[in-house]
Amino acid sequence: MAVDVASVSAWLTAYAETIADHAAELTQLDAAIGDADHGTNMNRGMAAVVAALDKEEFASVDALLKKAGMTLVSTIGGASGPLYGTFLLRTGTALADMAEISGAQFGAALRAGVEGIVARGKAELGDKTMYDAWAPAVDAYDAAIDSGGDVTAALQAAAEAAARGRDETTPMVARKGRASYLGERSAGHQDPGATSTTLLLESAAATLS
Amino acid sequence: MISIVVVSHSRSLAEAAVALAGEMVSGDERPRVAIAAGLDESAFGTDATAVAQAITEVDGPDGVLVLLDLGSAVLSAEMALEFLDPDVAKRVRLSSAPLVEGLVAAVVAASTGSTIDAVAAEADAGLLGKREHLGVVEVAGAADVDASALDLDEDAESVEVEVLAAHGLHARPAARLVALVGRFAAEVTLTNATTGRGPVTAASLSQVATLDARHGHRLAVSASGPDAADVLEAVAELAAYSFGDDASPRAGAATVPDDTSAPDIVPAVERGSGSGLDIAIGPALVAAAEVDTRGYVAGSPSDESERSGEALRRAADRLDELHRHTASSAGPGAAEIFSAQKALLTDPEITSAVSNDIDAGTSAVEAWGERLGAVAQQYGTLSDPYLRERAADVRSVRGLVLRSLLGQPEPLVAGEGILVVPELDAATAATLDALTVHGVVTVRGGSTGHGVLVVRSRGIPLLADAGDAAAAVESGVTIAFDASVGRLLVDPGEGEQDRLRQEIERRREARDVAVSQAQSPAVTSDGRPVAVLANVASPEEAAEARRCGADGSGLVRTEILFGDHTTAPTVDEQVERLLAVSAALGGRPMTVRTWDVGGDKPLPFLSMPSEANPFLGERGIRVFRSRQELLLDQLRAVCLVAKRVPTKVMFPMVTTRDEVEWARAMLIEAAAASTGDVPAGLDVGIMVEVPAAALRAATLVAGLDFVSIGTNDLTQYTTAAERGNAAVAGLADPFDPALLALVATVVSDVGPDVAVAVCGDLASSPVAVPLLLGLGVDELSCTPPRVPEVKAAVRGVDLDVARAMSAEALTASGPNRVRALLADCALRCR
Repeated sequence: MAVDVASVSAWLTAYAETIADHAAELTQLDAAIGDADHGTNMNRGMAAVVAALDKEEFASVDALLKKAGMTLVSTIGGASGPLYGTFLLRTGTALADMAEISGAQFGAALRAGVEGIVARGKAELGDKTMYDAWAPAVDAYDAAIDSGGDVTAALQAAAEAAARGRDETTPMVARKGRASYLGERSAGHQDPGATSTTLLLESAAATLS
Repeated sequence: MISIVVVSHSRSLAEAAVALAGEMVSGDERPRVAIAAGLDESAFGTDATAVAQAITEVDGPDGVLVLLDLGSAVLSAEMALEFLDPDVAKRVRLSSAPLVEGLVAAVVAASTGSTIDAVAAEADAGLLGKREHLGVVEVAGAADVDASALDLDEDAESVEVEVLAAHGLHARPAARLVALVGRFAAEVTLTNATTGRGPVTAASLSQVATLDARHGHRLAVSASGPDAADVLEAVAELAAYSFGDDASPRAGAATVPDDTSAPDIVPAVERGSGSGLDIAIGPALVAAAEVDTRGYVAGSPSDESERSGEALRRAADRLDELHRHTASSAGPGAAEIFSAQKALLTDPEITSAVSNDIDAGTSAVEAWGERLGAVAQQYGTLSDPYLRERAADVRSVRGLVLRSLLGQPEPLVAGEGILVVPELDAATAATLDALTVHGVVTVRGGSTGHGVLVVRSRGIPLLADAGDAAAAVESGVTIAFDASVGRLLVDPGEGEQDRLRQEIERRREARDVAVSQAQSPAVTSDGRPVAVLANVASPEEAAEARRCGADGSGLVRTEILFGDHTTAPTVDEQVERLLAVSAALGGRPMTVRTWDVGGDKPLPFLSMPSEANPFLGERGIRVFRSRQELLLDQLRAVCLVAKRVPTKVMFPMVTTRDEVEWARAMLIEAAAASTGDVPAGLDVGIMVEVPAAALRAATLVAGLDFVSIGTNDLTQYTTAAERGNAAVAGLADPFDPALLALVATVVSDVGPDVAVAVCGDLASSPVAVPLLLGLGVDELSCTPPRVPEVKAAVRGVDLDVARAMSAEALTASGPNRVRALLADCALRCR
């Protein structure tokens, strides 16, 4: 197995199912510190992605990821649209024209996607955003590849790191997004974006190898 | 001009913000604004691709400013820039300004043709006025401009004006000032001479706002540059009519929402103006007429009573709001209906019956529905067609109250197409979105109802009284109409649709050409100049008339100009307002018509006995034979005004020579008490609207300077048919050869020294222009928006051809034959 059209498609389909299962939980997290729409928005966006993937045959991973990214941009509505959309678009761009994708190349592509998120959201570590999950995740992925692990092992390490990063958002005070309007009152709640990011990496670990 | 894109999570927020900002400048000066907001009508969200699309839609060489609300709006807009062609993206600026304040400032700045940098700076400064008012910043800091640059030029000229607007130089009047100044090549600065604030540049709405100029303050206006003198004169004129606002502090100001507060029920008030054409095509939007009251759960009598009071208050607020908006967009005449409708809500007869019903256990919905329904029914059975049309007004109020009780929104017309309604009430007409409603077809209700008046003033194409054919139309079916020939087409074939679209395009182009030449004189192709004037009823309409190129006003409707007064206006008040009309006309001549009132159109400050047949009763000049004082005051004001600005005066509903003698005697008596002699330049004339007056025009005009033919009443009296009565409206056709014969008689009998004008609806019909000029009419006075087209029609006239055609029209078998002759003439002239 490799990172190819079939497995990336399986990844996003699995993520859509996970999001559907966790939509209520995500919305509840968002209700505490945001505008109570993260679960709904992600669910709408990922359902649209699955529908888009079903409709078309893709010649390459990057074409698939770009389609998925544009779909999210148009259907999520909230800030997650441009953020996840940018992630998928940049990841796709980094994988363009590759016949076979190695673990290291996929890691570099993930990092490019995360850099896109940072450029778009202008978040820093500790701002209580999805970046607090993404940053340790891509570091853990690279470390696993460097020590000889395969894509599956690297993604597992990334998902675990993301989960730790997600948990660390709970005591943080939000400095970005709608939650930042709450100031100190945002502390004590887990960040919904970091939560959906962790789910995305867990789905990846379960489907990509 | 730059364009603007509004990005928001909420479509209704964006639309309302755009509508609010759109109020600041008149339609033809508004920048193009596109909206990218919400995932759909109701779901909140932003979409980067939609933002990119909106930018592409309005993109132009001058650039696009994007105003945003929060969060993902910013991310989506940034992302949109990446989707765009880099050449386009280069011209786009994302604004960090607060959405509402920034948008208002940006729309105004853009309308003056400012560069994108200047507009962006204006938007950013949009908060200054509010911060200043609330004391957040110091004055010096607020005027964030290089003060030395504003030091008065040695050569600068200046004037001082007073702020007459009741609420001071608030957003709308300030916007008018900024827009006005933007049209001149001059640097203009303003100082609040009363408080010492300023100077600030008059080119900036946000800077003007920092002056905090309130009612009664004096403004020092300085100007330098080539147009300095002109701009000062224009500003003084604008100031003289309260910067276009209401000068008198509003009664019950506490209940009138101010410009920034949100209305209670539905914020949507009229958006945009229509095509101004009389032709339209699109899918039918068939509106449901009845409010659905099922599902209303009644409470105890005391609950119901409370709900009733609450609903009443909201309905009254809504009517106030509709009144304000309609007065500013379509003129005070069109807005009157909402005051009348509000009076129904406080009619003790009705309110006490309703509260008795509620005490007896009836629900508020049932009580209001029944009681107002009964009133509407009473009107509906009256024999007088004018009063019968008022039933629609009552039904409209009933709907408003019921919806308020039920918490239902107003039945906003959704989608794009042609609205088909059983009858058109004023509230619906005022709230139509002219950007999506291409036209309106009514099944019945006549052509003089209030809704018809409002929708016409807004330039939305209208086909009235289309009858059964319209009643049978189903939603979604393509329909088209051409009101100039009274034709409704249901489900036309593709070829026919193409022809109609081409015809719409052709008329639009012809209209655009007409508009571009509106300010030039109207001269027939063989060299005869024809004065094209406008009928006006307010300084705002007069200003519109001037913008539309009118050579003056051929009819100032004083009964509407002062229709908002509950007591008779004093001579001074009349002088002031008439001067304001003259100033708004740019000092061009105006013909003041004395009070034209009667049992069918009463004045609040003139009680009239009820008459069995007011249309044939005490109307116009007849009313004043027994009550001279009101007329004398008016004539005193006219004499005083005529000493200062070009003025004519005319008397309505004259029938006999004796009345002419009497009217002249009144004028001499009034002059004796004001100006001494009748001012030398004051031309005196009469309206010809009674057939007897037309037939003996030669006898009537001795000693007069002009006559003005009121074709509406003259047609109705000649054909003994009321236009508002659908059963006979077809008879009251101004193209009837009998009516034309009367016009020809007047022209030949009054002789060459007495000018003949036409101020009825016929003069607003471009197609009738060759006919009227061919009959020998000298001047035309039409509704302001029609001026460009009427002028264009004059330019197309060859008088020899027109005379021959008119001679044939006089002997034509009927009005349709006359129309055929005109169509033929138009084809030959095209």
